[in-house]
Amino acid sequence: MRALGATVLAAGETANGDEQTAGTAVVVLAVAIFVGAYVFIATEWVHRVAAALGGAAFMVVIGATDAEAAFFSEETGVDWQVIFLLLGMMIIVSVVKQTGVFDYLAIWAAKKARGRPYAILAMLCTITAVASALLDNVTTVLLVAPVTLLVCDRIGVRPEGFLIAEVLASNIGGTATLIGDPPNIIIASRADLSFNDFLINLAPFVVVAFVVFLVLARWLFRRSFTYHPERVRAVMTMDERRAIRDPVLLRRSMVVLGLVMVGFVLHSALHLEPSIIALLGAGLLVVVSRTSSAEYLEEVEWPTLVFFMGLFIMVGALVNVGVIGALGEAAVDAVGDNYFRAATGLLFGSAALSGIVDNIPYVASMAPLVSDLVEAGGGAPGAEALWWALALGADLGGNATAIGASANVVVLGIAARNGYPISFWHFTRYGLVVTAVTVLLAWPYLFLRYYAFG
Amino acid sequence: MRARDLAEQFPVVHLDTPAMDASRLLVERTLPGLVVVDHDGLPLVILPGSQVLRFALPEYIEEDRTLAAVYSESDADAFCQELRGRTVEELMPSRQFLPKKPADRPIVGPDANLMEVAAVMAEQHSPVVAVVDAGEIIGVITVHRLLGAALPQ
Repeated sequence: MRALGATVLAAGETANGDEQTAGTAVVVLAVAIFVGAYVFIATEWVHRVAAALGGAAFMVVIGATDAEAAFFSEETGVDWQVIFLLLGMMIIVSVVKQTGVFDYLAIWAAKKARGRPYAILAMLCTITAVASALLDNVTTVLLVAPVTLLVCDRIGVRPEGFLIAEVLASNIGGTATLIGDPPNIIIASRADLSFNDFLINLAPFVVVAFVVFLVLARWLFRRSFTYHPERVRAVMTMDERRAIRDPVLLRRSMVVLGLVMVGFVLHSALHLEPSIIALLGAGLLVVVSRTSSAEYLEEVEWPTLVFFMGLFIMVGALVNVGVIGALGEAAVDAVGDNYFRAATGLLFGSAALSGIVDNIPYVASMAPLVSDLVEAGGGAPGAEALWWALALGADLGGNATAIGASANVVVLGIAARNGYPISFWHFTRYGLVVTAVTVLLAWPYLFLRYYAFG
Repeated sequence: MRARDLAEQFPVVHLDTPAMDASRLLVERTLPGLVVVDHDGLPLVILPGSQVLRFALPEYIEEDRTLAAVYSESDADAFCQELRGRTVEELMPSRQFLPKKPADRPIVGPDANLMEVAAVMAEQHSPVVAVVDAGEIIGVITVHRLLGAALPQ
């Protein structure tokens, strides 16, 4: 086995050259393992962490990867930038969560809206979208869902529509920044794109898409907007200031969060990777918040981090045996210099696939392919924009079905626990409409910005 | 001393007893918990008073305890309204936490010694156990009664 592994790796090292010499048996086995793991992840027959780690283990056994390739290579191994950026942001969120700032904002918004359901929904969705751009989507919806249930209870409306709208807003808002959605973190690391690249290229579109979403929501969730004037008192008598239990902690957290954002904006100038900024911010927050390790590690989703590692090793093994390289060449041949057609395919294809499978494994496997395409373009702006097509498709496509993104699954869980079960189709009915509208908007945006005047 | 020597009369509630009535029973009789019996009349589970409170609170308060603070005083006073129109069955822990085999029920036989009674209470975090003889409840033992009998004079 060791001998086989060594041969294949030697072949893998030249796989980027003209010759493709990895043993056919290993290539076939590697593809079979990858597809098998993907099926398990998509169907949830096996827990996704077990599927990714199992897939990675088989890749090692067949000799498609080894410790060197899996742990120390930027092309074929675990992308530690992604892992540590996620870890840093999860630690920051663990502390920010304890401040009660989301409860404060949501109740403040409900009072400003004077108990009017649509105004409340619009304000809660705006809070969710902005927070999702700065923090992880799953955490954002976890923080905003309980207070949403409270507010809906107080104004006497059913909360399902509100919760669904918030998840959709969260996935749209998360599209705007490098740190907003895990697919963006992967793309940024693979493509070496900065925080500001995301802000400049995606945020303007996301603002427009979000406004369109809010207008659409007025119609989509119209049945949730029964106004009960007699219930307004129950909203207005709530005291949002009591949600802030520790004002000192709140001030310190906000200062550190602000510093982290400034750090992200300046990270290229500072020559610091986003992962380093996030870890430094997390460290600073741990020190100034004086929280215990159990508290500041509370929101760290170790299974998610391990899932990413297994995934990277699996995809890296495919790169190693030359499968991705061959697919990339085929894609480059197919695309030629018609990058708009490629962007169109990538946008709609990614949106469709991300609705069906988790968009994280999808983007992790697509990123090396898109990387080949962009490199073949040799710096042409139309080629570079393929990254934005991938990000928009994958992020917005996460809204399409109840299982399209992790945040969707989480909110369905909270809703069910609170006695408001939302079925797969109940969610998907709304998600499909919003995905279709936002992706159809993204298409002319890509065309006008990157291709029309090229 | 045996369990039958300590057993005393104790009201039981059924799955379809209104939650409000069951809670009032706790207050009026200053009981440490409710003995819930199944359709065969056998004790299924003990709902300690704290458990009844849990079900009076909305689930979202349990997910985010900070939210309890934002209610106005008068609205907070009225939190037990949540129990209105609900039955004991709805206050029960979800199915996965309910006893699956007889040994998991808060039950002792009439011949159980005090240590056996204490072991069942401790293991099930239950302030009450029922003494059952041939499928009939002959009484219950509360934690107060057990400790009263077992503590050195």
